[in-house]
Amino acid sequence: MKSFFWENLRIALSELWGHKTRSILTGTGIVIGIIAVSLMSTLINGVDGLFEESMKFLGRGNLYVEKWPWFGDEDWWTLRNRPRIELDMAEKIQERSQYAMVVAAERGRMANLSYKELSAENIYIHGVTANYPEVSTVDVEYGRFFTESEDRTGAQVVLLGSEVAKTLFPQGNPVDKMIFAGSKRFRVIGVLAEMGKFMGAFSNDTQVIIPLATFNKIFHGPWGRRSITVKVPEHLVEDAKEELRGVVRVLRGLKPEEKDNFAINQQNAFRQSYQGIKLAIGGTGMIITALSLLVGGIGIANIMFVSVKERTREIGVRKALGATRSQIQGQFLIEAMVITASGGLVGLIISTLISMAISKFLFPATMSFGVAFMAIALSAGVGLFAGLAPARKGAKLDPIEALRYE
Amino acid sequence: MSLIQVNDLYKIYQMGNTEVRALDGVSVTIEQNEYVSIMGPSGSGKSTLMNLLGCLDTPTSGEFFMDGINVATMGDDELAHIRNKKIGFVFQTFNLLPKSTSLRNVELPLIYNGEIKAHERRDMAIKALTRVNLGDRVSHKPNELSGGQRQRVAVARALVNNPAIILADEPTGNLDSKTGEEIMVLFDELHKQGNTIILVTHEEHIAAHASRVVRLLDGKIAVDEATNRGKK
Repeated sequence: MKSFFWENLRIALSELWGHKTRSILTGTGIVIGIIAVSLMSTLINGVDGLFEESMKFLGRGNLYVEKWPWFGDEDWWTLRNRPRIELDMAEKIQERSQYAMVVAAERGRMANLSYKELSAENIYIHGVTANYPEVSTVDVEYGRFFTESEDRTGAQVVLLGSEVAKTLFPQGNPVDKMIFAGSKRFRVIGVLAEMGKFMGAFSNDTQVIIPLATFNKIFHGPWGRRSITVKVPEHLVEDAKEELRGVVRVLRGLKPEEKDNFAINQQNAFRQSYQGIKLAIGGTGMIITALSLLVGGIGIANIMFVSVKERTREIGVRKALGATRSQIQGQFLIEAMVITASGGLVGLIISTLISMAISKFLFPATMSFGVAFMAIALSAGVGLFAGLAPARKGAKLDPIEALRYE
Repeated sequence: MSLIQVNDLYKIYQMGNTEVRALDGVSVTIEQNEYVSIMGPSGSGKSTLMNLLGCLDTPTSGEFFMDGINVATMGDDELAHIRNKKIGFVFQTFNLLPKSTSLRNVELPLIYNGEIKAHERRDMAIKALTRVNLGDRVSHKPNELSGGQRQRVAVARALVNNPAIILADEPTGNLDSKTGEEIMVLFDELHKQGNTIILVTHEEHIAAHASRVVRLLDGKIAVDEATNRGKK
């Protein structure tokens, strides 16, 4: 049987070479289908990686007490009218909660920074408690974090995000330099290690961190984000969330019939809504892909029927010379599979190039070996499926009639 | 044992309500190294007989032994094997694969044989082409050859698997008389070399090359006699 395979492959290749335009047009359907399927899987893998990377910024065991829920469909006005989060609740939560290991508070707003003639605009100023490093992924590259007493006294010290440090101090060590935020002078005490972007969009490196008390002293307005982060044991996060809800309700003096006027956010909310989106995109993608492969397959089947018809006499000759049904069937099946597999290969090359471009300009998306293998197997499968009916038709021809066919 | 033994062969087609008896009880025996021509007007059943002898078709009833094997009751794939190993076809319209070289065309029966290695196939095909004096045309495609040369490629293809019979259906029908005569000389030589040849024709001077002529009429054998050549 091995020799028939090579023989059939040879016939298929010379036949396709003989009808170049037709073969290219026929294969294009498969090319498009394979681009769709491999790009879709690659993008989903890329977004997955991005998502997991981003999730590191939000610890698994962290609960965030905030005014706004991260996801949900509650009425905007109701949410808008909630009281803002009192950050001094942090200490009380620490006292009352069984599960809380660390309770950190933070505020934030945008401001412009300057050092001598250099300036950095729209920088996120993050006022946090001294225990903030315990609930986040910030890492001090050089210099140091501020101390609890610096926080208590409202010392005007600042840690720069890596991008901010690069902007304000293109060369030289920023530590101990004095920078301005508006009219206030701050002493740089450290620079944060590079952290990358959250969801590929919000850079964590264009922030600066100052003590919360200092923030409260300087920025009086009601604006900006306020959040209390409660770190609890990861495996007890659901229990801890219920407890925390009770604690905050008591602290806020809510009556039993009143609704929560705060939100407790957690990584899971992201995870769930991401899973939903991923399923929707993946599902739609699957349908589009399946459709385009089906259309491609129909094209192949059609052209194979034409090919069998055109080559009726050739089939007659081959049969007269001793070709069996399965040999004729094999010949046309392999021909169909060669079209689809080459279409698959071309599609794979194109989508590899596209995913390389996406990786370069948008977010990391690398085609995995599994995706490539699946694409080739799928395209050969489409060929097998599409070629079956025409190949059987050819194989069943009566040699006498086939030889007489003009 | 005879090479071909046909006993009481019938081939009946149903055309609507009418029954067409293409072969109506034919019995014939052909020995090793015979040179037989089958003649008859159109509709006499000679094509049907040729298709049956060539194992392209199965009879409605009757016995057909080739080399002692009953082929009358064989299935498609078994018949394909018999055609591949025992029969060499030469057609009126040559029936070469137009995109393949002479060598590839002649190799074809050996490829379907499935047991012969690539280099052996090549050697055998070149030898067959040399036998028909086309040793220098192995890599030509059919459209680069004259009609006579094409038919000789077809003869080489029929010879290459050392068949028990060479079955030629109007082999000179598409050739001018001079080239046709050359092809017939080739068949005469092959006969002398020990091959069994069955020739289907409606031309008397072509049939005269054979040593025996079987004349069909209305699906029955009308005459089965030695030709002048055969009587010598």
